Amino acid sequence: MPAPNLRVTIAGIEMKNPLTVGSGTYGHHGNFSQFFPVETMGVLVPKTVRNYKWPGNPGPRVLETTAGLHSSVGIPCNTWEHFVAHDVPILKTLKLPIIQSVIGRTEDEYVEIVERCDSLNVFAGIELNLSCPNLKQGGLDFGYDPDSAYKLVRHVRSKTRLPVIAKLAPDYTSLLKVAKSVEAAGADAISMINAPRAMCIDHVTRKPMIGNKIGALSGAAIKPLAVYMVWEVYRAVQIPIFGMGGVTDFRDVIEFMAAGARAVGFGTINYVDPMALPRALGELTRFLEENGIADVNELVGSAHEDRPALVVPERVVA
Amino acid sequence: MLQQVNAPVVWNRPLTGDYWLIEVEAPTIAGPLAPGQFVNIRIPGLTPYLRRPFSVYRVSPDRRRLQVAYKVIGDGTRLMTSALPEGGVCDVIGPLGRGFKLPAQAKHIAVIGRGIGIAALPTLVDAAADRGIAIHALLSARTTPNLVGLDIFSERGCTVITHTDDEPSVAQVTDHLIGLDKRHPFDAFYVCGSNRLARAVHALAERRGVPAEIAMEQHMACGFGDCHGCVIDVNLDREGKETAFREVCHYGPVFDTWEVVHARA
Repeated sequence: MPAPNLRVTIAGIEMKNPLTVGSGTYGHHGNFSQFFPVETMGVLVPKTVRNYKWPGNPGPRVLETTAGLHSSVGIPCNTWEHFVAHDVPILKTLKLPIIQSVIGRTEDEYVEIVERCDSLNVFAGIELNLSCPNLKQGGLDFGYDPDSAYKLVRHVRSKTRLPVIAKLAPDYTSLLKVAKSVEAAGADAISMINAPRAMCIDHVTRKPMIGNKIGALSGAAIKPLAVYMVWEVYRAVQIPIFGMGGVTDFRDVIEFMAAGARAVGFGTINYVDPMALPRALGELTRFLEENGIADVNELVGSAHEDRPALVVPERVVA
Repeated sequence: MLQQVNAPVVWNRPLTGDYWLIEVEAPTIAGPLAPGQFVNIRIPGLTPYLRRPFSVYRVSPDRRRLQVAYKVIGDGTRLMTSALPEGGVCDVIGPLGRGFKLPAQAKHIAVIGRGIGIAALPTLVDAAADRGIAIHALLSARTTPNLVGLDIFSERGCTVITHTDDEPSVAQVTDHLIGLDKRHPFDAFYVCGSNRLARAVHALAERRGVPAEIAMEQHMACGFGDCHGCVIDVNLDREGKETAFREVCHYGPVFDTWEVVHARA
């Protein structure tokens, strides 16, 4: 049997395989690049940028939870000039498509940072972070409100020729409304889920344990809720989905694709096991070969009712 | 160059007091490791989820193996005593961070460690002793068995002064340090494991106009500068007029004391 096809196309961006990273978990090709060639992945999503310098939140910013990470980093960001002088020249040398994640505190700030990124002629797409749970201002309001999400995406869409990917807030109540509204506003794809809001309280001091008090939860602990949300959004919209949230290995990649994701992001696991993505790519390829699946695209949405289950050979019990 | 290796575990046994010692074969990490740098160790499975950062306790003379002295203090370190058996492998990332700087002209230094902070000092003591630098080690802990590494400090010719908490230790360590410095002035100070001692050492070093460094701790996730999780508030100038968040794993763990001792603290 010939090698299975791993190529996927999402928002017009051709990826040689469906694997990517969640924004903020790979930096801007800094120290992480020492572990494996970045070109191993299908597309790179570097850390979110703003059009202004931002210090981020006070420490402690990270705290371990059961199979997860509670964090409130606050998307620190250097100046635009620093980004252009130090990060962009490095990104230009990489031989894979790059989707730059951006955030703003107002619609105008989003539009301005998108226009700046577009003008660099480096990026294959723009991801709008609509759902950062760490900031009092910022993406949160857009991601929870279908009307402002629609208005923002519509505005951004009119100002850039690049594919626009809306990263959604993991909110049960507004999820499908926001997904449909960003699709109607012209988003080319959806990225989900961002880390849901969370809190940890010290039982002795009875006070929140991280500097910002309110943070997010990420890592393996959130995977089932992320898979569920991808499953719901896949049924509600036609545009493709970047799925992520607690991905650890190739089985999680298949799970997200079966729920409806066309590409899958590795996030917090990058901090724990920087080699998780390349290992999963090898194991995914082997899985497709062993199960006679000629094209990875066949996995997309395969968990839904209209799709047949894979016939599993009967196991012999000794 | 950063390495992630599955290092064979050659030793993992109780050391002294609450401490265990793990030794792994990791030449690509142990070889280039500088004093004060650290490693990030993964405990197999998804709970605990994050790696555990440790200062390197010692590197073997052939620089093929490294040791970590770890205090069994929580779920992660308790699991390390059983989940990383001798004969198995240990997933280690390193060498990480920026270590101690020994001034070229240094002839006489003071290393001041408290509790687990003592375990960050032997690599520095080895480097200094190899250069013929005279070393005073002022070490304190809760109990005598928790004075980790006394044998190393003695073996490397340090003059060792110890305190435990059944004595009023902080005042005595500071008094000792000031007295010693008057008789034989130190060319540099190194401190780890106590903010109170750090402030005292910093004040003395500032008066004397000599460098003082401190190895810092903070909750970490990745350990290699990508997650921006382990920040502390750092002075950008000696007067502390301007401060900024800096990642301990990337800009540290070793800082000049003036960077981290805040006037208002």
